[in-house]
Amino acid sequence: MKKLKLVIEGMHCSSCAGNIERSLKKVAGVKEATVSLMLKKGTVECEDNVSDDEIKKAVVRAGYKVARIE
Amino acid sequence: MSEHENHKDMDMEHNHDKPAEDSEIKSWKRKLFWSWLLTIPIAVLMLSERLFGFAIVEMPYSIILILALGFPVIFVFGWETIRSGIRGLFTFYFNMDSLIALGTIIAYLTGIFYFTGIVADYSGVAAMIMAFFTTGKYVESVARGRASSEIKKLLELGAKKSMILRNGKEIEVDIEEVKIGDVMIVKPGEKIPTDGIVVKGESSVDESMVTGESLPVEKKKGNPVIGATINQDGILYVKATKVGNDTFLAHIIELVEQTQSSKIPIQRLADKITSVFVPIILTLAVLTFANWWFFSGDLSRAIGVGVAVLVIACPCALGLATPTALMVGSGMGAKRGILIRKGEAIQTMKEIKIVVFDKTGTITKGKPEVTDIYSKVKESYLLEVAATLEKLSEHPIAHAIVSKANLKKYKKVTSFSIVRGKGIVGKIGSKEVVIGNRALMNDKKIKYSDFEKEIIKFESAGKTVMIVSENKKVIGAIAVADAIKEDSVEAIGRLNANGYRSVMITGDNERTAKAIAEQVGIKEVIANVLPEDKAKKVEELQNGGMVAFIGDGINDAPALKQSNVGIAMGTGTDIAIEAGDIVLVKGSLVGVVQAINLSKATFKKIKQNLFWAFAYNIVAIPLAVGGVLHPVVAEIAMALSSITVVTNANLLRRKKI
Repeated sequence: MKKLKLVIEGMHCSSCAGNIERSLKKVAGVKEATVSLMLKKGTVECEDNVSDDEIKKAVVRAGYKVARIE
Repeated sequence: MSEHENHKDMDMEHNHDKPAEDSEIKSWKRKLFWSWLLTIPIAVLMLSERLFGFAIVEMPYSIILILALGFPVIFVFGWETIRSGIRGLFTFYFNMDSLIALGTIIAYLTGIFYFTGIVADYSGVAAMIMAFFTTGKYVESVARGRASSEIKKLLELGAKKSMILRNGKEIEVDIEEVKIGDVMIVKPGEKIPTDGIVVKGESSVDESMVTGESLPVEKKKGNPVIGATINQDGILYVKATKVGNDTFLAHIIELVEQTQSSKIPIQRLADKITSVFVPIILTLAVLTFANWWFFSGDLSRAIGVGVAVLVIACPCALGLATPTALMVGSGMGAKRGILIRKGEAIQTMKEIKIVVFDKTGTITKGKPEVTDIYSKVKESYLLEVAATLEKLSEHPIAHAIVSKANLKKYKKVTSFSIVRGKGIVGKIGSKEVVIGNRALMNDKKIKYSDFEKEIIKFESAGKTVMIVSENKKVIGAIAVADAIKEDSVEAIGRLNANGYRSVMITGDNERTAKAIAEQVGIKEVIANVLPEDKAKKVEELQNGGMVAFIGDGINDAPALKQSNVGIAMGTGTDIAIEAGDIVLVKGSLVGVVQAINLSKATFKKIKQNLFWAFAYNIVAIPLAVGGVLHPVVAEIAMALSSITVVTNANLLRRKKI
C-alpha cells in the first residue's frame, strides 16, 4: 500500500471533487480516494503497483488535471 | 497570526509559485469585467422599449447585435465553463458546469432559431446568465480564499533559504539543502529555517505562528527551537535536528491537510445527493420543458421554464457547506495550536458527556521533583541507594530522585528490573534493593508500617511516595511532587461549569490522586490504574456516555483510541501525529476547553450551512418548475445560494472560543 498526494488543477465546484473521487476509485488497486476542493489536493491510497500515470489518467477522465504528485 | 516577515524574508519567498486560489480569483475577475462590459449593452438593447419607450435598435437587427455581443460572453469568457460542462455531459461526469452550459447554449440558440420563426428570442438571457454565473463564482472564490486564509498562511510559513556555517564560512543555501547537523545562523527578525537546538547565542523567539503561544519564548544554548518561528532580538546559532517532512511545521501541515480530506458523517447525505444531483436536474428540466410545451403549447415559454430549472439548481451550496465551515474552523484552531485531525471529532464532540484526564503530564507538568525525605538512616545514604538504582530507569520520578541525589560516582548495579506501574527491583553489590509503592512492598512482603504515618501525610498533600528498602527492610521514603500546570484549574473549572463530568485517571494511589484532583477541581478519581489498563477504564466509563480522553499521546495512545474523542497533548516541541482525533500543540488544558468550543461552533455552522443549502434547493427548484421564475432571476438566486453558504462559514470567525 502507498499513499499519494495529488495537486489538482481545474476544480471549482464540489461536484468536481466528487467526480474526481469517483473516477479515482474506479482505478484497479485504489483503496481510498479523497479530494479536497478547498485545498485543491487529493489523497489516494492504493496498491504499490498502481502507477502515477494511471492516477493522472483517472483525474483527466473526470475532466481535470494533476499538476503534480507528491 | 503575526506579520513579522522582514524584507529579507519577502525576498526569500518571491520565487515560489503563487497560490492557486489567487490565480483563480484573478481569472474570474477578468472574466467578470469583460462579461459585463458586453452584457450591459445587451441588457439595454433588450429593455430599451421598456426603458425609453422606443427600441434603440429595430428588430430583427437588435437580435443580431445581441447574438454578436453575447457570443464572446458565452463562448470566449465562459469557454472554460462551457467546455467542462459539455465534456461532463459526454463522459457522464456531470458537474455544475453541465447545467450552466446547457442552459446558456439553449438560450443562445433561440436567438438563431428566432429567424426560422419557431421560437421567441432568449439569446440576451444567455449572456446575462453567464455574466451572473461569473459574478457568483468570483464572489464565491474570494470568500473561499478568505475561508482558507489561516491555513494558507500555515502552508506558506516555512522558510525558503537558510544561512549556514560551512567550513567556517557563512553561506546561503536553499532550505532543501540544509542537512541534519548543519549549524544555521539566524539573525534578529529572521525565521528559524528548520527545527534545531541552539548551540550559541541567546534570544527570544516568537512561536505564536505554530504553537499559538502569544508570549515570546526565551532561548539559550541547549534549548530546542521550531522551524518557521521568528527570532526576535539576538543572533542564534542553531544546529538542525529535523529537516524536510520530519519537522514540527511539516507535521502540523500534514494534520491540517488530513482534516480537509476527512469526511464528516453529516456530510454523507449531502455528498450522496451531490453525486446524483446533476443527472436528476437534467431529467427534471427535460420533463418540465415537455410538460409546459405539451400543456401550454407555447414552445418559447417551455424553453424559458426549462432553462430556469437548469440554472437554478445548485449542487454547489450543498457541496461547499461542510468543507468551507471545516476550513474556517480548522484555521481558527491552527492559529491557537489546536489541530483537528479527524473531522468526525467535530460531530462527536457535541455528544461528549465525560472528560477524562490523564494526570501526569496532562494536568500536571510531568516534571516531578523530590520535596520531602523521611529516613531511618542518613538522608544522603538513602538518596545514594535510591539514585544508584533509579539511574537505570526512564521514569520521570526516577529522574527526580537522580537529580536530587546529584551523585558524582555510581556504585555498580548487579541486577535491575522494572515492575511496571509499581517500581524497581535490583541489586547494588550484595544488597537487594526494592524501591516502589505500597503494592510493590506488599508483593515482596516487605513491612512498612513504621512509615505509614509519614507516607499518608505526604500522600494527602498530593505527593507520590517511593518507599526504599534494603535487604527486605525499609530504610526511608521519598516524596515526589509534580506541580500542577498554571491553567489546569481554570480549564477544569470551565468544563465543570459547562456541565461535563470530569474524571482523573492515574497510576498513583488513591490518596495522592485525590489530593491533586481536589486542587484542580476534579470530583472523580480513578487511581491505581496500570498504564495498559487505561483504555479499559475508558471503556467502562463509556457506559455512562460519550467520553473524551486527554492524554500525552505517547503512553496513552490506546486510551486515546478507545475514547470517542481523543485529545493528544503536545509538549511544545513534539506532537503526537498518529494518536488523537484532536492534537493540542501546546500542553495547556485551556486548549481542551477551546477545542470543545471550537468543535461545537464549527459543527453548528456546518448544520446551518447544510440547512440553507437544502432549503434553498427545496424551495427554488419547484418555483422554477412552476414557471414562476425568470431564468435570469433563477441564476441570481443560484449564485446567491453558494455565496451565502461560504459567507456564513466565514462568520464562524466571530465566535469567541
